Amino acid sequence: MTAPVEMERPEAEEATVPDTPWVTVVWNDPVNLMSYVTYVFQAYFAYPKPKAEKLMLDVHEKGKAIVSEGTREEMERDVEAMHSYGLWATLQKAGDLV
Amino acid sequence: MGHIAEGGGPGLSTAFRRTRGGGVTASFHTAEVELLRSLVGQLLELVRDESEAKQEDEGWAVALGLADDEPVRPTDPVLLRLFPDGYQEDGEAAADFRKFTERGLREAKAGTAATVLASLATAEGVDPGERKSRDKIRVELDAAEADAWLRTLTDLRLALGTRLGVSEGDEDVWAALPEDDPRRHIHDVYDWLGWLQETLVRTLSAGLG
Repeated sequence: MTAPVEMERPEAEEATVPDTPWVTVVWNDPVNLMSYVTYVFQAYFAYPKPKAEKLMLDVHEKGKAIVSEGTREEMERDVEAMHSYGLWATLQKAGDLV
Repeated sequence: MGHIAEGGGPGLSTAFRRTRGGGVTASFHTAEVELLRSLVGQLLELVRDESEAKQEDEGWAVALGLADDEPVRPTDPVLLRLFPDGYQEDGEAAADFRKFTERGLREAKAGTAATVLASLATAEGVDPGERKSRDKIRVELDAAEADAWLRTLTDLRLALGTRLGVSEGDEDVWAALPEDDPRRHIHDVYDWLGWLQETLVRTLSAGLG
């Protein structure tokens, strides 16, 4: 599988602030089971069960939760993995209003 | 998110449980196996559709990465739910993300669906004389197959749920539909798949510690 890479985007803005973190956001949906969402957070991120359950409840009750932070490339990988599990996820710059 | 009521399953199948060998197992009625095969077959067609059609047209160009066949944002709500945008407020970044991920995701989803079909075929291949009951089929899955079932059950429920237009806490709406409303039957199938998945998740979660 080809990893997402930025080919056409000018990188100047981000290159000057290499530490700018990005985040993966998982959004609530009416289909996915609470138990399954918890399982995915445990299985993919290797989060302990209490943390996975807390994130799942945030998604369920607040409509969304930040589930991981890192570089843009890392977050693109996480979002792609969430999509492969059928979770609804997007990435964005940390600090941008969710 | 979805909820599953406690208690027995709505179908004839048994809940998933651990085997001594470390795998998981569940038993299905032959009619349930038939239903699963039909649903998973349709899912497989849906996720394969575009990538395969392209490959037939311009296989060599695709193989060399020269084909101009970048995935575009699906208009079908089911496909858009299976392959959502990776960026919410940046159309250009979302299009780039789709370009680099959608084909791989389609192949991955087709692969897990094919694994489910193969495990059903293996289970059906057992001599009926060796089955506990003629119309019961026992499916046994190793860790990789169980993972494929989890993902495919999710994809099926996403597809059915999106087509039906389910929303959170709408169980009463579906229960109030007339018996002969086809949506009621589809929702029953959707519920059954959810119950099946719940038992599989619980069984696998117990192994995560």
